[in-house]
Amino acid sequence: MAPLLLAQVSPDDAVLREIARLQRNFHFLSYGLIVAWLILVAYVLLMVSRERRLKREIASLRAMLEDKTVNRRG
Amino acid sequence: MRNKILFGVGAFAMILLARNIYVIAGLPEEVNQGAIFKIIFFHATMAMTALTCSFVAFVSSVLFLITRKFVYDEMAVAVTEVGLAFLAANLITGSIWGRIIWGIWWTWDARLTSALVCWLLYAGYLMLRRAIDEPTQRATFAAVFSIFAFIDVPIVIFSIKWWRTQHPQPVFWAGGSFPPDWAAIFWLNLLALMMVAAVFTAVRLRQEAAQREIDSLRRMAHAL
Repeated sequence: MAPLLLAQVSPDDAVLREIARLQRNFHFLSYGLIVAWLILVAYVLLMVSRERRLKREIASLRAMLEDKTVNRRG
Repeated sequence: MRNKILFGVGAFAMILLARNIYVIAGLPEEVNQGAIFKIIFFHATMAMTALTCSFVAFVSSVLFLITRKFVYDEMAVAVTEVGLAFLAANLITGSIWGRIIWGIWWTWDARLTSALVCWLLYAGYLMLRRAIDEPTQRATFAAVFSIFAFIDVPIVIFSIKWWRTQHPQPVFWAGGSFPPDWAAIFWLNLLALMMVAAVFTAVRLRQEAAQREIDSLRRMAHAL
């Protein structure tokens, strides 16, 4: 039975299967690295948008305080 | 000046990371696992960075409870957020490695489960902070929660020693073998990621200072 099964697998098939396994292995390594960097880039973008929001909020609060002070003096 | 230092450290870290990726790509494939083994250079270093952030958050939280100085609370929230991003990247890279080596994306193994619980605990910490408005109460509750969450960190680290797990045993401290030139690249990569985390934390600290300024401006606006 075993020789019959072995006869059905040609050496070419084994080589092709090994190449496919190595390629899949390499693709998954690439996916892993891409996802890891995407998470860090997403976090950087989140921080940049938060920084902009904070600056806008500080500017608007300062303008509001200035208006209130001028109105009280006036 | 501070911005220039931050920019310099960040640029150096990025150059070092780019160089490391180039060197790692040129390394030969591991005999049993093939190319996917190289994910360890990012998977393990990201975990180490995240757990270092957890340790800094723990120390900062303890110091806040002792001194009641808000600078420690700001440090705790900054490093927790940065650590959470690194831990997320660690969990996902681990899952991708597991799909190739184990044939599954996830298993409820002690190491994986404790790392996921760690991520959920620190995400809970950030959500708790959003739920409380009063700054002193928020900082106190968050510090206590952070100390509680840190209990999970030694469990994550030693789970592979305490229980029989599907996760591989540690390479560096359990008799594992790693070629010396590979180890050098590993430590350099850890240094680069630690520098990236330090830059992120510094930027996040500046944002916390801006938030504190907003709170004080709001109080002034209410008083007028």
